[in-house]
Amino acid sequence: MFINRFSFTLLLALCLVVQSPRVLSQQESVNDSNGAASSNESVQQAQDDWGDEWGDSWEDSTVERNPLTLSGFAEIAVGNRFYNDPAINASKTLRDARIQVRADYALSASTVRFRGDLYYDGVKRGWKSQLRELAWQGSLSDLGKWGERFDLKVGQQVLTWGTGDYLFLNDLFPKDFQSFFAGRDDEYLKAPSASIKLSGYFDAFNADVVVTPSFEPDIGITGEVFSFFSPQRNDNIAPAFVVADDNTPNNEEIAVRLYGSVGQAEVALYGYKGYTKQPLSLDDTGRPRYSRMNAYGASVLMPLGAGIANAEYAYYDSVEDGNGANPLIMNTQSRYLLGYSQELYTNVTGGMQWYTEVIHDYDALISHSPFPAFEQERYRHWVTTRITYMALRQTLTVNAFLFYSPTDSDGYLKANVTYSPGDTWQLRSGINIFKGDNPNTFWGQFEDASNAYVALRYFY
Amino acid sequence: MRLTLKNGVLKRVSVSFLISLLSTAALAQAHIDAPVNDENSVNSIVLNAEKAAYYAGNDGKSLARMMIVDSQGRKQMRQFTILRKDVVDDEGIDTGDQRMLVFFSRPTEVQNTVFRVEKHTDLNTDDDRWLYLPALDLVKRIAAGDKRTSFVGSHFFYEDVSGRAIAEDSFTLIETTDTHYRLNAVPKKPESVEFTRYVVDIDKATFLPTQIDFYKHDNNYRRVEAVKVDTIQGYPTVVRSKVSDLETGGYTLMEFRNISYDVGLPDSIFSERSLRVPPQDYMD
Repeated sequence: MFINRFSFTLLLALCLVVQSPRVLSQQESVNDSNGAASSNESVQQAQDDWGDEWGDSWEDSTVERNPLTLSGFAEIAVGNRFYNDPAINASKTLRDARIQVRADYALSASTVRFRGDLYYDGVKRGWKSQLRELAWQGSLSDLGKWGERFDLKVGQQVLTWGTGDYLFLNDLFPKDFQSFFAGRDDEYLKAPSASIKLSGYFDAFNADVVVTPSFEPDIGITGEVFSFFSPQRNDNIAPAFVVADDNTPNNEEIAVRLYGSVGQAEVALYGYKGYTKQPLSLDDTGRPRYSRMNAYGASVLMPLGAGIANAEYAYYDSVEDGNGANPLIMNTQSRYLLGYSQELYTNVTGGMQWYTEVIHDYDALISHSPFPAFEQERYRHWVTTRITYMALRQTLTVNAFLFYSPTDSDGYLKANVTYSPGDTWQLRSGINIFKGDNPNTFWGQFEDASNAYVALRYFY
Repeated sequence: MRLTLKNGVLKRVSVSFLISLLSTAALAQAHIDAPVNDENSVNSIVLNAEKAAYYAGNDGKSLARMMIVDSQGRKQMRQFTILRKDVVDDEGIDTGDQRMLVFFSRPTEVQNTVFRVEKHTDLNTDDDRWLYLPALDLVKRIAAGDKRTSFVGSHFFYEDVSGRAIAEDSFTLIETTDTHYRLNAVPKKPESVEFTRYVVDIDKATFLPTQIDFYKHDNNYRRVEAVKVDTIQGYPTVVRSKVSDLETGGYTLMEFRNISYDVGLPDSIFSERSLRVPPQDYMD
């Protein structure tokens, strides 16, 4: 029944794709001051009078004329799961009616940026808002000659670094896995944080220091939309899960990156002082909490053959569990990543990554764990592949990304099609399919979360 | 058309004029006084261009916009600011390498997206390319790709923008008119491109290519033309150009505005820093 409903939705999406050119061409012709009906006429007019052909003027749209630029989009997104999830018993995985407003205000030598989302979440049945950016950004040149080497960005912002594709080792900025699994646009995989970012640019290297005064955790899988495995119950559960305030630190996080180029290679060193981004540890009464974590790492990214190769390492030091014997606290880990991407054929790009998590003090973990059978393997390997195909002058993009773990025998296929025939409308449709041999593994636990979605976006 | 020299050896001449502003249209400087002595010789055309290259502007900036019209008449717009600087060696000689930043302001979907290129004239070294995606604060290094694919969704190819190395084609002079040289170009590696040959008209006065017709055997399926040339700071510059897909009727118009040369762009702005914090001082 769910599958049937879904086939219908996909069929509908397909019809939209096929039908939309005509609909959209009508839309576009509104902006055409000449009302050009056929392309031949347009060509003729293009040669006759460029000014008319453009329709609108430069002045309206050039940034330097008007310090304030306003834009954004409205979006409707609908997604359903393929199978029934007994822990949740609702088929909806995505029901967004969303509007995003972007406003940039240019000051004489700096910018104030705003990006905010307001949406009705039909799965959680309520209005939600997310302030994705409200930040001042500028250089410190007013403070003297030395200040020319520094940029400062203060306020709510989205931050990203590191070399992985959908894999984050040294990037410990907040992420939103719920949006990622539900098929929201990739933009929403990165959650914002209220941070201060100081960037310094020097001859030999550059440096970023990011201070987030109050710890900002990931938006994880909470049970409102997707269920997850509980070792205590030996089954999936879906509590409207909130980490208690007294288990959520409000101390600062500090992230540092030193980076530079060596020839065509880009190298970087990373450091982090803060907490596990997900509530992987437990307090004495068994409630989830965030425990102290420091991280150190390095990466290199460089052209290799016809493509780009990257390697990254991160050491997650679980400060509160130095010897790994505390079953309530996450163990120290090492994480390794090797990646390569290149164009395979014209308009087709392929990428591949090998990712390994190594749990330190593994024997201590197993001997103290109340659920040794459900503990992660000492070595967890993931292989990922990505294929991207662009067609119709890049108005159609097909993306397929597969996570596969040979050690956990599970995987996650994330595939989507994006069609943007004009500057205003965009249709996006895709699937998120989780599969695993065991119900307790990282991807395996989300089998019943497998879903498909369709989203229609209007840019203004 | 663009030409650069390294150690006196011709390394690369590209017949791309699309962003001729960016790629030293200055070679077409009007006061080239050396006449083409042997009008039947492609080499002499190239040598004159070589001479002119020494007078090239070292950098340039411009606003640009494109209108992409598909075969059904549907339109898309792109608007962006381009900064470009030539790379010189220790002795101040133009190496032919270039640095480029493209800041998109329209449409909304790509607003604040920045494209950065380090172009290498060495045929064995791929260009370095980066894309900055503001929504994710992500700097993405892009693998070198087929250069004959759409540039940001337009009918222009990446190669039309960055320039095609003349070393990749064999040229013969077809005819000389009062105003133009007409050259036929045949790719040395035909398997690497979609065309079998192209015919390029080069203005005798400015050395700017004014029209390029691409052929698949006898079928002229693609045309790139200079629609309007203005002289800016003494440099004849293509300010309007057009590429047409003659098979489908789709085309893209491109227009430059607020062009200036020899702005004195510092090397330091061609870096990751400018992706996140565009150098506003140089973008007006």
